[in-house]
Amino acid sequence: MPSPVIEQIQGSRCPQCRTAVVPPARFCPWHPVAMAPISLAGLGEIVTFTTLHSPPEGFRSPLHIALVELQGGARLVCHGEATRGIRIGSRVAIEAVDRVYYFAHLGALDRARLFWRRAGRRGERLEAIARSWAKRLWKGRGRDTGE
Amino acid sequence: MASVWISGAGMTPFGRRPQSLPDLMADAAGAALTASGIEVPDAIVVATMNPEEFLGEGNFASRIATHLGFAYVPAIRVETATSSGAAAIYTGFTAVASGAARSVLVVGGERMTHLPTPRVSEIIGRSIDPYERSYGATMPALAGLITRALMARSGLSAREIAQVAVKNHANAVGNPYAHFRAPVALGAVMTSRLVADPLRLFHCCPISDGAAALVLTASRAAVRIVGIGQGADALAVRHRQELTSFRATQAAAKAAFAMAGFSADRVEVAEVHDAFTPFELIALEDTGLFPPGAAGRATLDGETALGGRLPVNPSGGLKARGHPLAATGIAQVVELVWQLTGQAAGRQVSARVGLAQSIGGLATNNFVTLVEAS
Repeated sequence: MPSPVIEQIQGSRCPQCRTAVVPPARFCPWHPVAMAPISLAGLGEIVTFTTLHSPPEGFRSPLHIALVELQGGARLVCHGEATRGIRIGSRVAIEAVDRVYYFAHLGALDRARLFWRRAGRRGERLEAIARSWAKRLWKGRGRDTGE
Repeated sequence: MASVWISGAGMTPFGRRPQSLPDLMADAAGAALTASGIEVPDAIVVATMNPEEFLGEGNFASRIATHLGFAYVPAIRVETATSSGAAAIYTGFTAVASGAARSVLVVGGERMTHLPTPRVSEIIGRSIDPYERSYGATMPALAGLITRALMARSGLSAREIAQVAVKNHANAVGNPYAHFRAPVALGAVMTSRLVADPLRLFHCCPISDGAAALVLTASRAAVRIVGIGQGADALAVRHRQELTSFRATQAAAKAAFAMAGFSADRVEVAEVHDAFTPFELIALEDTGLFPPGAAGRATLDGETALGGRLPVNPSGGLKARGHPLAATGIAQVVELVWQLTGQAAGRQVSARVGLAQSIGGLATNNFVTLVEAS
């Protein structure tokens, strides 16, 4: 079962085309533009996966490898304990163990918990926006700064 | 731009070879030079992917030039991972087309079978993005990831992928230069051991020794290079916009067809980079030889077999002719020259225009070459 704490994964984003990559890179792969550091939540979807039966030296067989697309767009390659029940499109949580990323399948309960937590956060954000609008109106300044 | 002709082609048999790499290259170069009638070329382009690691040798262009008895002929080594041979043709082509040389010997090869398989996999794997490699990603692993995505997306079946191996092994039976000359049955392919799920052992090309050579000239010969193109993509597979087709092949094909001034429907025979059998199907669609999603069914229907509408990999391909890395891109064009000039006894097809497609790394640096009989 995944840890209840959502892992934060360090990456970088291109200020020009918004491409996000993990791990952080100096330049965008598509432009000679310096990337800005970002932090991405360790939640995503399985893009594809394989089980390697003759892995290179230093890895145990069978070696489960997945390509995961994180919320926010970056894709990362990670390991898994098993691929049973995993499909393309499966929702997974990413955990770092010893600076190595692992994917864990999110069950229905985990998904529900994460949904409510996100919904909760969204609720808080809406409340904050409403409060700031009220404050501005009260001060007689109606202009939205976009933040 | 001057016309570039192929006036000589030659190769060694592929497989487990007793000779050293310089000797394999000497045999291939000797055959190509004899066929061309040229005694001393103006320049030499040498292709090897990694003689430093496989053999512990460097400065390989001079090593080969001297070994061939051409110590005074300027030589350059070219390297783009597994497409190094095709890159050498590209380099030789530009030298002749620009007028910098009137004749260029292009020779490529690799010697690998003297090392244990895990060591060979590790050396080849160094052409993968370092972060992906740190997760144990090898070429078969990345090919496995791509194959699963392809099957899910296009509905490509396990039978279609297996049929590529059956066809290419059947073709190699008639090719005396091939690594494997025994046919395999569909069932044997589909039940061979899993390497990188869903890829199985018989979906993967072997580790081979061998060399191949061409002589490119500004003077007229039987076959002309009418188009050649290079295409690129990100080193990291995770950065790719598309996982189930190769942008590097598409760009290379577009450039090659633009130079040739004709489209894919003129192509009558193709040699493509089937390092993993699904890659043959991807190549056929990326080059425009088949519409997207049609190559698997066409293969099952025999359209790409020797007697089919468009024979693909009559040599046996990387799968059965073998894959001595930097020899492969050149061997593909050697096969096309032999097919176009009626020198492919045992696997001869009827064709005037041929296409070769070569993949460097995990499709980061690909080439497409178009040749036409004059």
